[in-house]
Amino acid sequence: MTLVVKRYIVAALSFFLLLSLLIVAFQESNMKRKETHQDAIVTGANEGCVTCHMKDSPALVMEWEFSKHAKVGIGCIECHVAEKGEVDAWKHEGTYVSVLVTPKDCARCHSKEYEEFSRSHHAKAGEILASLDNVLAEKVAGLPDNNADAVNGCWQCHGTIIKFEKDKDGDILRTGKEGKPVIDADTWPNSGIGRLNPDGSKGSCHACHSRHAFQSKLSRSPENCGKCHMGPDHPQIEIYNESKHGIAFYANRDRMAMDKKGSWVLGKDYSAAPTCASCHISAYMTPQGEVKAASHDVGERISWTLRPIISSKLNMIIYEDGFKEDFPHTRALPKIGETLDTNEKVVENEELVNKVVSRKVEKIVTWEERRDLMKGACLNCHNDTYVDNFYKQFDGLVTLYNEKFARPAKAMMDDLKKDGVLKADAPFEKEVQWIFWELWHHEGRRARHGASMMGPDYTHWHGMYEVSKHYYTEFLPAVIEAAEETSHALGNKYRRKVEELLTAPEHAWQKGLSKEEADALKSAYKKRYEK
Amino acid sequence: MGNSKDTETKGGLKFSEMLPFDWELLRHAGSEPVPNHLKKWWFCLGGTVAYLFIVQLATGVALTFYYIPSPEFAYDSVANITHNVRFGWFVRSLHKWSSNFMIVALFLHVMRVFFTQAYRHPRQLNWMVGFGLLGVTLFFGFTGYSLVYEQLSYWGATVAANLAEATPLVGELLGFFLRGGPEVGANTLTRFYVLHIGFLPMVAFMLIGLHILLIRLQGVTELRFENDPPEKAAGHFKFFPDHVTSEMIVGVLLMYLLVMMALIFPAELGERANPAVTPPHIKPEWYFYFNYRLLKLTSLKVSVVLTMVFGGIAFFWPFVDEFLRRRLKANDSVIVLIGVVAILMIFTFTVWESFSG
Repeated sequence: MTLVVKRYIVAALSFFLLLSLLIVAFQESNMKRKETHQDAIVTGANEGCVTCHMKDSPALVMEWEFSKHAKVGIGCIECHVAEKGEVDAWKHEGTYVSVLVTPKDCARCHSKEYEEFSRSHHAKAGEILASLDNVLAEKVAGLPDNNADAVNGCWQCHGTIIKFEKDKDGDILRTGKEGKPVIDADTWPNSGIGRLNPDGSKGSCHACHSRHAFQSKLSRSPENCGKCHMGPDHPQIEIYNESKHGIAFYANRDRMAMDKKGSWVLGKDYSAAPTCASCHISAYMTPQGEVKAASHDVGERISWTLRPIISSKLNMIIYEDGFKEDFPHTRALPKIGETLDTNEKVVENEELVNKVVSRKVEKIVTWEERRDLMKGACLNCHNDTYVDNFYKQFDGLVTLYNEKFARPAKAMMDDLKKDGVLKADAPFEKEVQWIFWELWHHEGRRARHGASMMGPDYTHWHGMYEVSKHYYTEFLPAVIEAAEETSHALGNKYRRKVEELLTAPEHAWQKGLSKEEADALKSAYKKRYEK
Repeated sequence: MGNSKDTETKGGLKFSEMLPFDWELLRHAGSEPVPNHLKKWWFCLGGTVAYLFIVQLATGVALTFYYIPSPEFAYDSVANITHNVRFGWFVRSLHKWSSNFMIVALFLHVMRVFFTQAYRHPRQLNWMVGFGLLGVTLFFGFTGYSLVYEQLSYWGATVAANLAEATPLVGELLGFFLRGGPEVGANTLTRFYVLHIGFLPMVAFMLIGLHILLIRLQGVTELRFENDPPEKAAGHFKFFPDHVTSEMIVGVLLMYLLVMMALIFPAELGERANPAVTPPHIKPEWYFYFNYRLLKLTSLKVSVVLTMVFGGIAFFWPFVDEFLRRRLKANDSVIVLIGVVAILMIFTFTVWESFSG
């Protein structure tokens, strides 16, 4: 090799070395950009927003910079843009925008999620506005001119109708040079999952996908659902924490791939534990491959409803326009193609009204099929005997609650109404109404939810124990008392009814145990404690 | 201000007077003709090691700016270098890859010297100096890896200290000297650090100086290849610029490869060292796989004794070679065969270990 060739080789290699060093510099600056969130793409349309809001609300902008949206140039305008004439729109710095970002806005990119979510039980959470829960918050706990309990309590999870302040002519009040519409403070801020938005859409994506970072790990975390699914009437998060699933999750959070980009598949991306999302929404593996469920219709895999006084299994009727209804298993199923009158709650003039719409049945998903969808998730870790037997245990508990307590208690309440003891328009007048309310709405649900997610203490001590204790010692005496308050004759009638009820074999324990049972109990206690 | 004649300069600065040195001698030494066989690339391996040593010095000094040799902070400081310090990941990756390249180049250099029989009289001493350098480099690798203080390096250090402890007679003392106590901990880190950045570089410098000095004094071996016609005189070419340009090609190529390795396989950081939890698979760095496999095949004591015997034979090889040829009348083919068997054994054990759990 001549000296000249060697020199050319040195030159060529030096060139490559220089190139590689440029890549090093690029890598380094890339790392720094990521750390300082400089990898956010601020498009021309968003430059003005970011510049001002970086001063006014810097943390908000920083959170957006951290988001995946920012990395692909989805900025403020893409979500907050509004059309001229929309009730919540105003011209801000030359562009029509709105404070509210509704599911319809998100649907511009996430249309599949919007469709799934819109037919879900979550989207209908705002319909609680016409329920006993709301009566308790607005009337019982509130003042005629102060419904702060509902505003700060119920509505923050369930959502509310977004309303605007009006002038004397009924026009929306506007403020400032730009004429920003004034939202009724009782209805905003509100991130309730069933919020009723001015554009007719239901819900709030932000309820689970907190703005403005929209981190996947947040919506995959059980704590996220626990904001609302907790407390005396639906303690799902407490039950989850008590269950083996919850224990495994908290011990293995670092193995849950919570931050994984894109799909998050049980049995592929993680295995340590299921979170709420794993079982109710997310994808999972099956022998046939990945079930790309990722359904934002959160109730899809639920086969029992555990909310009402008496639980029933649920068949799902999906109509041509995507509207969905749950039919209790006791109700006859329609035929595919049949047209039915459906009840839909809509907002008209800022009020929730019932609308009857004729719809054609397109698809029926039976409760068994819904259960199979849930089982698919279970089978990632458990075998079919385990899963089937779990459902037998769970079904047994719901049936026990239904038959021994809920059905007779409800029959008793219905009779009291028929006899004029209870008034339909005074749901919390008598003590028996309060006791009955807590019996099914709090204690009964706790027992059923406890069994559904394998939380033993919630099933028994917070659940069935409270149901039975209050049924015998408070509810039945209160039934007689309420009847007695109306008339002595009615009092006697219900005394006899209760006595008759208690003659059934399942209540015979009240009269005392059989000799064998009493002896067995005695000796067991003796063995255990007399040492 | 002095007014002495000595301080006056006529017509500008005179560097040669400021540094009184025989520049002609340097020019002469620099352009000394070297034998033609040095044009063959495998004769650049020694220079490669020297070059990588300089890379190690430069990157190593930069790393010491941020490294903290204490059990509480060692791991965090390496994490800081890797994730926060400007170009820290790059410098650390260069240091790691350069050390691996250095060991590969050293092994190849030793093989080249062995098979060209360049260790024979009068160069026996330089073989031993070179072998000392190999030992120093391996010790460099071991101490450096342990400084990271991640699970594997921590437990690697523990195993190595146990091996040292199994050395006959001085084992206990050696084990204690390495660890600075009954277990790997704060004392181990400080002494590894001092050895890695102070003592070992000093020894390496001295040995490299001696190695090069001996080469210059004895000259490079005049090598004749079998297929060279017997009448061919050993040709020479100039050290500068011819050989230096070859070395430059090697240097730039190496730097390019190092940068690419750092980019594609940057130095990673495993789990933080936890003295309470032994990881299921402890593995030393690949260049100790031979010893590790030996340990697994035999026992602690036997493997240490075997390593010492093999090491001893290798260190005194020029004399063993002499003994084999003079006393046992072994010819060159036998010597080559011994080398091939030794290399195959090292290679097989290393590959075996790398594929075992």
